[in-house]
Amino acid sequence: MTDKVVEKVAIQTEESRNQGRRAFLKGSAAVAGGVLFTQAASASPVMKFDAKKAVAPYAGREEITDVLPDPASRKMLGWGVRQYPYGMPSPFEKDVQRRTLEWLTPDSMASITMTPLQSLHGMITPNGLHFERYHGGGININPADHRLVIHGLVERPLIFTMDDLKRFPSESRILFAECPANGAMEWKGVQLNSVQWTHGMMSCVEWTGVRLSTLLKEAGIKPEGTWLIPEGADASGMARSVPIELAMDDCMIAYAQNGEALRPEQGYPIRLVVPGCEANMWVKHLRRIQVTNVPLQHREETSKYTELMPDGTVQNMSWYMEANSVITYPSPDFKMQGPGRYVAKGIAWSGRGKVDHVDISFDGGRNWKEAKLTSAVLPKAWTRFELEFDWDGSELLMMSRTTDETGYVQPGMPQMRDIEGTNNVYHRTAMVTWKVHAHNSEFGGMIENVQF
Amino acid sequence: MFNSKKTLIASAVAGAMIVSGAAYAMSGKPEDKAQASGGDWQAMIAANDNKYLDAKVVQAILGTDARERLVKKMDPNNPYSFEVADSIDGGAHGNMQCKVPAAFVTVHESANKNYYADADYKAYGFGTPIAEAALDKWKIHVDADGNGLPSLDVGMTVQKGGDMYIQFCAMCHGEFGEGAKGYLPLTEGNPLPLSTSDVNDPAPVKTIRNYWPYATTLFDYNRRAMPFWTPNMPAIGDAGYMGITGYILQMNGIPLDDSGTLIEDDDFFNAEMLLKANKYLANAGNFMCDHRPVIANERCMKDCPDYMVGDGKGDTTNYRTAGRLPDGTPQYNVEQRIEVSPPGVGHHGF
Repeated sequence: MTDKVVEKVAIQTEESRNQGRRAFLKGSAAVAGGVLFTQAASASPVMKFDAKKAVAPYAGREEITDVLPDPASRKMLGWGVRQYPYGMPSPFEKDVQRRTLEWLTPDSMASITMTPLQSLHGMITPNGLHFERYHGGGININPADHRLVIHGLVERPLIFTMDDLKRFPSESRILFAECPANGAMEWKGVQLNSVQWTHGMMSCVEWTGVRLSTLLKEAGIKPEGTWLIPEGADASGMARSVPIELAMDDCMIAYAQNGEALRPEQGYPIRLVVPGCEANMWVKHLRRIQVTNVPLQHREETSKYTELMPDGTVQNMSWYMEANSVITYPSPDFKMQGPGRYVAKGIAWSGRGKVDHVDISFDGGRNWKEAKLTSAVLPKAWTRFELEFDWDGSELLMMSRTTDETGYVQPGMPQMRDIEGTNNVYHRTAMVTWKVHAHNSEFGGMIENVQF
Repeated sequence: MFNSKKTLIASAVAGAMIVSGAAYAMSGKPEDKAQASGGDWQAMIAANDNKYLDAKVVQAILGTDARERLVKKMDPNNPYSFEVADSIDGGAHGNMQCKVPAAFVTVHESANKNYYADADYKAYGFGTPIAEAALDKWKIHVDADGNGLPSLDVGMTVQKGGDMYIQFCAMCHGEFGEGAKGYLPLTEGNPLPLSTSDVNDPAPVKTIRNYWPYATTLFDYNRRAMPFWTPNMPAIGDAGYMGITGYILQMNGIPLDDSGTLIEDDDFFNAEMLLKANKYLANAGNFMCDHRPVIANERCMKDCPDYMVGDGKGDTTNYRTAGRLPDGTPQYNVEQRIEVSPPGVGHHGF
C-alpha cells in the first residue's frame, strides 16, 4: 500500500505534486495530475486478516498459567563497553565449532576442518568458522614484511607491498570457497551423519581485494603468457596452474574477508581468489605469481586433486566446482518434533554462476517441489532456499537439487557413480539423501544420511 | 593428454599395470572431430540464453549418451573439450595443457573485456620494478617441461641420495618408501589396479609407480615442501634433493629409456636423468583434462524417470546407511559421532 502511494507520487508532474500531496495528507480521494488516489494512508484499511482464523491451530492447546519469574539478567548490571575489545559469540554457542576428523590425515598441519553448516544462517560464514585447510600448518606473517611479485612473461616485473596493493581500485564479492574434497568420504557409501562432515569443507564470505587482471596488466603481461603459477609464502609453498582465461575472468588478490583483514587461517595477509573454482587454487599467503606458457604440474594437480575414473584414466586440471546443494534443516543433526508443519532450509551454490532453481523431493527423487530462494542470489556464492511442508509422520527421503544459470541440473549419486566410479575422491557433487524415520518407527523422527 | 601415441608408449612401458580399455584417450575416432567442428554450436548456445550446460543444448551438440559425450570431449576440437592438442615438448610425455572450453562463453566474454579488448590500460604505477635476478631464491618451481631445473653438475649418485633419504625422509616414508606413522607409501610392489571401482573394493593406493604422471613433480615437490618440518633445507641443497629424487624414482622402478634401463646406485642423478625418467612414468598416458560435467539432465518435476529416482533404477528402498552407534541407533547429534571410526573402505588421503 505505502509502496504504491510512493510510486504514484513519484510519477506525478511538478505541477500536480502539491495538489496531490495535499489530497494525500487530508486523507481524501482526489484526482491529481491524472493519478487517482482512491484511498489514503490514514483511512482504515479493508481488513482481510482474520485474527481468529490465524490462531485457530492453537485451539485446544493447553496454556501456561504459572506466573513467569523475572530472570536473573533483569537483576544485575551487565558489563561495560570494551569488556571484549574483539567480540566473541555467546558462551552458549560454544558447540558451534570447526571440527576435524583425525583419521583423515596423519597430522594436524596438513589437515582440514569443516564448517558447522547445520548451525549457520544466511549466506555468510563468520570468519572464525571458515573451514581451514593447511598443507604446511598455519602461520602468522607480518604484513610489513610481506611482498607480492609478478614476473615471468611480463614487460615489467613488479614487486608490491601491502600498502601498494591497497592503493589499487578494490572490489568486494561474496563468494564460496570449497575444497574439491568436500564429500570425498562418501564415494563408496555414506559413513557420516552430519552436514558438517558431508559438506563442511566450504564456507562463503565477502572477499575484498584487487582484481588479478588489473595487476597482470599493470606488469604488462605478454601475449605468450598463457598460464599463471601462483605460489604461497608458507612451508607448503602451495602452487597451482591457473589458465589465463580464468585469471582474466574474475580472479582477485584478496586482503579482507567479511570486512576485516584476512584471518591467518585463510592466508593473511593476501590470498588468491579464483571464484567458483577449487579452493586449492586459492593460494594462501600469496607471494609470487609467475606468468608462463606451460602449466607447472605441481603435486597438487597431479598426485592430488585429480580424479581417478573407473576405467583407470585420470582427470586433472579440474578447476570448476559443480552446482551443488544440501538441506541443512532438517538434517542429521536435528530430530523431527512430531508430525506438523516444517520449513526445509538449505544452501545451493554453483562454481559457474548463479543458482536458478532449487527443488526438493520428499520421495527419493520421483517428484519435486520448487523451493523459494531466500537470500541474495549472487554468482558463485551460497544461495539460501526454503520450502514449507507438512509432515504426516511417514518416512521421507529428502533431497535437494539445484539448477544453475548455465542450465546444469545437479544429478543423483547413482548417475554420478556410474560415470565417475567410486575412487574419484574429489568433486563428489551429486545429491545427498536424508532419510526421515517415520514418527512411529523405532528411530522416530531421526534423520539419517543414506545413499542410493 | 589427448595423444594416442603417448598412451601406446605408456602402455608398452607399463605392461600389465594398465588394464585393457584403460584409456579413452586411445579412441580418438576421426568422425568425432568432424562432428565437433561441424554444427553451429555457437548459435545454439546463444539461442538458449547462453545456457551452455542446458540438457537440450548439450544433447544436441554432444549427443544423448553420457559416456559418448565423455569420449567426444577428449577431442581438443570439440567446443566442450578442455583438451589442447599436444605441442609442448612434442614428445610422448610433453607437459599436458588444458584450456577453458570454447563453449563456456561467459568466461571468454569476461576475459575478453578485462584483458584482450582493454586497449586503454595504463599502469597506476603503484608497484616497484624488480629484476628477475633478484628473485633467484624465490624461483623454486620446476615445471613438467623441465624449466627451472638446476644445471647438470648439480646432483649426486643415487646411492648417496639414498643415504640422504634415510636421514631426512625415511622416518615418515619408510626406508624403502613403504610408508610409516600413517604416512602413505611412496611405492608399492603390487599395487591394486587403478581401474577398480566397485563400492566394496578397497581403493587403490596411488604411488609414484602407478599414478604419478611426471618425474619433475617429484623434484619440485621435494625441494618445495620437504622435509615437512623445514622445507627447502640447506643441509640437503639442490644436489641432495636431486639425489633423493633419483632414489625415490629408483625405488619406484621408473625406467630411463624405451628398453627399460633402470636407475643404478652409482648413476650420477642430475636434471638430465630426471628429464629422461620424466618420459616413462607409467600412468602419464592415462591423464587427461577435466571432462565435467558429462551428465546433462532435464529439470524434471513430476513422475521423473527411473534413472533419476532412488538407486537409479527407480527403487527407493535400495540404499546404504552409515555405521550405527553400539546400541544400534543412527549416529545422531551425540558425542560419539565426533569420534567416528576410520572408514573400512574409502580413499587414501587428499
